[in-house]
Amino acid sequence: MADAHRHATPHRWTRLSATAATIALVTVAFTGLGGATLRDRARQAKSGGEITFGLEAETTTYCLSKAQLAIAGIQVVAAVYDTLTVPNSKGVATPYLAKSVEPNADSTVWTIGLREGVTFHDGTPVDADAIKLNLDNIRGAPGAAQAGTLLPIIFSPLIQDVTATDPLTVTVTLKTPLTTFPDYLFLEGRAGIMAPAQINAGEECATKMIGSGPFTLDTYAPNEKTVVKKNPDYWQKGFPKADQITFVPVTDGPVRVTQLQGGQLNVMHTSSAQLIEQIQNSGQYKALVQKPGFREITYNFMLSDSPPFDSPIAREAFATAIDRNTVNEIRNKGLFTVANSLMDTKAPGYLKNAGYPAFDLKKAKKLAEQYKAESGGSFDVVMGTTTDTENSAELQLVAEQLNKAGINATISTSDQATLINKALSGDIDVLRWRNLHGSYSESSDQDNYPWFSNYNTPTGGKNLLNFGHFDDATTQDLLTQGRSASTVADAKQIYTDYNKAMAKGLYLLPLWYVNWAIGYDPSVTLNLPALPDGNGKPQFIYGRIPVLGLSASN
Amino acid sequence: MELTKTVAKRLLQLVIVLLFVTMFTFLLIRLLPGDPTTTIIPFGTDAQRAVLRQDLGLDKPLYEQYADYLTNLLQGDLGKQYNSGRPVIDLVSQSLPVSLQLMIYAQFIALLFAIPLGIFTAYRAGTRSDKAINTSAFALLALPNFVLALFLSYFVGAQLKWLPTGGYAPGWLDQFFDSSRSPDLIEHARYLLLPAITLAVGQIAVYMRLLRSDMIATLQENFITMAKAKGLSNQRILWRHALRPSSLTLLTVAGLNVGTLIGGAVVIEVIYGIPGMGLKIYQAVFSKEYVELQSYVVVIAVLFVLVNFFVDFLYTVLDPRIRRARAS
Amino acid sequence: MPELPDTGVDDEIGSGPTATEAFEREQHEFGGVAGDSGLLQVGAIEAGPASTRRRGAGLGFGAWAAIGWMGFIILIAVLAKVGILTWGDANESFASCARKGPLADEGGAKGFLLGCDSNGRDMIPRLALGAWTSLLVAVGAVTLGFIIGGTLGLIAGFTGGKTDTILTGMFNVLLSVPVIIMALALVAFLQGASGEEGALSPEMILIIAIGVVAIPLIGRITRASSLTWAQREFVLASRAQGAKSRRIMIREVLPNVLPAMFSIALLAIGIAIVAEGALAILGVGVRPPTPSWGNMIALDRGNLFKSPHIVFEASLLIFFTVLSLNLLGDVVRARFDVREGGL
Repeated sequence: MADAHRHATPHRWTRLSATAATIALVTVAFTGLGGATLRDRARQAKSGGEITFGLEAETTTYCLSKAQLAIAGIQVVAAVYDTLTVPNSKGVATPYLAKSVEPNADSTVWTIGLREGVTFHDGTPVDADAIKLNLDNIRGAPGAAQAGTLLPIIFSPLIQDVTATDPLTVTVTLKTPLTTFPDYLFLEGRAGIMAPAQINAGEECATKMIGSGPFTLDTYAPNEKTVVKKNPDYWQKGFPKADQITFVPVTDGPVRVTQLQGGQLNVMHTSSAQLIEQIQNSGQYKALVQKPGFREITYNFMLSDSPPFDSPIAREAFATAIDRNTVNEIRNKGLFTVANSLMDTKAPGYLKNAGYPAFDLKKAKKLAEQYKAESGGSFDVVMGTTTDTENSAELQLVAEQLNKAGINATISTSDQATLINKALSGDIDVLRWRNLHGSYSESSDQDNYPWFSNYNTPTGGKNLLNFGHFDDATTQDLLTQGRSASTVADAKQIYTDYNKAMAKGLYLLPLWYVNWAIGYDPSVTLNLPALPDGNGKPQFIYGRIPVLGLSASN
Repeated sequence: MELTKTVAKRLLQLVIVLLFVTMFTFLLIRLLPGDPTTTIIPFGTDAQRAVLRQDLGLDKPLYEQYADYLTNLLQGDLGKQYNSGRPVIDLVSQSLPVSLQLMIYAQFIALLFAIPLGIFTAYRAGTRSDKAINTSAFALLALPNFVLALFLSYFVGAQLKWLPTGGYAPGWLDQFFDSSRSPDLIEHARYLLLPAITLAVGQIAVYMRLLRSDMIATLQENFITMAKAKGLSNQRILWRHALRPSSLTLLTVAGLNVGTLIGGAVVIEVIYGIPGMGLKIYQAVFSKEYVELQSYVVVIAVLFVLVNFFVDFLYTVLDPRIRRARAS
Repeated sequence: MPELPDTGVDDEIGSGPTATEAFEREQHEFGGVAGDSGLLQVGAIEAGPASTRRRGAGLGFGAWAAIGWMGFIILIAVLAKVGILTWGDANESFASCARKGPLADEGGAKGFLLGCDSNGRDMIPRLALGAWTSLLVAVGAVTLGFIIGGTLGLIAGFTGGKTDTILTGMFNVLLSVPVIIMALALVAFLQGASGEEGALSPEMILIIAIGVVAIPLIGRITRASSLTWAQREFVLASRAQGAKSRRIMIREVLPNVLPAMFSIALLAIGIAIVAEGALAILGVGVRPPTPSWGNMIALDRGNLFKSPHIVFEASLLIFFTVLSLNLLGDVVRARFDVREGGL
């Protein structure tokens, strides 16, 4: 009996270990195999190749007139749609999908000339009627089926009327003279022109992407991937180069970089200083980094229509309490540039220091005390940001600095939409925000007027986009003047004064300029082709690159 | 007959549970501050919000909203997402197979390790190897699954780069829910391997112990002694004769787990970026998509009850006393 | 080994105990709920190390180590909170130390033994204060769960009949809602209700959220235990003597249920610590800047590749604490386990 026992045992355990070994072998083989397959996929042997582009977020709706697109969405829009104008590398808005965008003598009537023979992906023509339909929806004209709430805030006080004067000409009549109207036709890449079929698709407008862009929509599986394929009838001949782009949302920045290095992605974007450095130091991987000129700014927006920041003393206390250099040092490894101006170097109005106060803890303490004495008691500040852990950590650092100065700071995190709601309803006092306030070299109107002017909207009430509803005469006046500045020199003067006025009013505290970067692997060629009609070279702006020139090879 | 009576009883239970669960969820998620108009039109004026609320039927009294929801549900309509207007049934078709496959793989891996280990430790109960394995299993239970997820994605994903650290490709089940999703089995397996292992590890210890205790008791039964006396090998006895009657509790628990884990693996889905049901629920809570959430809860509750029902059925069929009694 | 109730020679399907019924009895016997959900995962602590030892042999090395660890952690937590010994400021940032620590890409920082987090805050005082927060939340939540869930379960198991059906129905309904929805909705609601100034402290919000979620779980377990004891002879005897129900419940059943519940409580505290961590990763943990082990992991999991020490250190502390609690729970159960064989 004992013998039988001893002999039986080795059999079974040998079998088991054999099974275990096989499983292990198979697993190892297939991780390698699968890895190879993935890498091959990313570096296709076909001409033009297939690109897998990692984005920082998913977009849930592409009904462009209604959508509130973040940069990830705008990047996809760049593949499927075209905008009427684009900024070139000199910062001038030039016609792109449109052939020409010409003003009348006083810039109240703009004539958009279209190109012959351009079609949407469904074959319908990009004609004046289609453009009119798009513009009517963007501005929220009566009867527009896909009017949203954000874009009409900007456009309905601006546009009086849109007419299709002939199949290739659209006439836009403005309510006020505006020399920089072409800037508004790009709108940071949001104003992609949709096919009438998409606009008229009711609820399906959100998912039925039909544009005139270099790529057509093949698959849209939210939170998994969005696949776009080469548009063989694209109006710019010879483009696009790539056969296919697969956009994949990867919210975790470090994971996105890892996936680039691991071959899962061959292109990705990031705005984190540390990750950019990581890509640049990783040998074969390259990063196309935004150069100074037209970059976004991260800032703390002090909402000044309610206490405590309705008091200039409180605002100054806040500004002097924050050591921006240390925050930049800790959060960005000192790799970003601290900003002391509302716009970046090439936009009109730029100053090295527009007058923002330097870090001065003693002064901050004194001012905080003063505020408390005058307002009878406490100095409580609620700072709001999105649930992104990087932002939350940054605010914790800032809160700690504020607490040292005697300001009682707490943090509130929520999703973007709730955050905006809280800002609008006064539940938070400081909004950590990132925006582009200088994307053109001839004017800073399009990036400042909608966000900071305090005009009355057609639906009643003040401009919602000016979260703080700050309303001092100087800045408002300068913003209005800037709208109709007739020469670039005038514009420069006006916006320089405006920059100084904003700094004096201290409605916000700029932190740093944000460098977006596109990380890519050696198989990818990041070609940004020249703009049509000799309009110059394209601009890597707002984190978005034109994708028509991208290609991959092995 | 008995069977129809049982089925009818179960169906009634299902309906009652669903009614209360939907009612409870209905009230629970109205607790969330704000409403969906915040997400849909963050820049909307109060007037615009009011109009939108009316369009979405959110200005009706609560009981009316609930009644509307139930009426739709009985007609098979799971409602639409407020934000994009997409039918919830589409969202369920996209995400449910993902979570189901993840659960199935996790259970499979867990059982793959737990069964042999359970048998071995029962066979060698009280010895040093038994104690060692038991202690390791015990220690494993103390490891939070999100910690394991983070570590695995770090070591296997980032350092060794053997497996991807996030993403998904359709597997064998997705096509039955949505015919346009064709399987890409190798990629599918690569994306789900780490998450499945992470989920499995927590279960292995539990299952192993369950099996072990049942096996220890079974091994003391008469029929085992008889089999030994007949000269059958230990291997045969353990795997052929002892395993089946001892696996009852294990299978029960495994079955119940499949049901509960569907909505419960959110943290894993978030960390690994798997677009499953848990992730959808998580996103829907923050966007205050009331109808979408209610429908997810209904789907999960139905699945849960069905799984329970099936496990119960299996249990009564496999009840060893009944089988032995019938055999004799 | 649980004995199935003797069904006699009965051929009919469906006449035996259902799987769920047998499972619930197992729960009572083994004092644990196996794998409820990814969020609150309890292991069936049947046949743990304590049981493989002969009873009455005194506490083994494991148990003493566990007691020692828990004592150490509690001591540190209390000292840090009270402010007697804080080992530095948990919220002070040092630019020179940011992201540095043992195993970090950028190397270690002089004077900071365990390194700093991504904001340059010293890990040691943060972990100590975090211990307080995590333990407070966990103990608070479990207490809440027992006060409400335990009481309801006791009543349900003892009273039986309609009360039992209603209460069990309630538990089942609550348990059918995915835990994640309950927890997220509760935290969001409480955070909203307490306003931006925070009428409710961040810890309190988590205590309520996790506690409420725990109520049906603890209720179910207490009910099973209460049910078993309520059918014992001495209870029947008490009834026969004319004692009032409530008196019997409190005098006779409760004292017998308590020891088993104590073991469950220890396990539950471990689960609650992990739950807080999971909720932190989902963005609804204890609000910063109050550190908790969970939100320290959540905040710096993006830095896992470059500064793994942050996540490692907090994870190790959680691991050893939960392990100790599991061990102690097992030991307590083994001590008090009075098995008189079958029902």
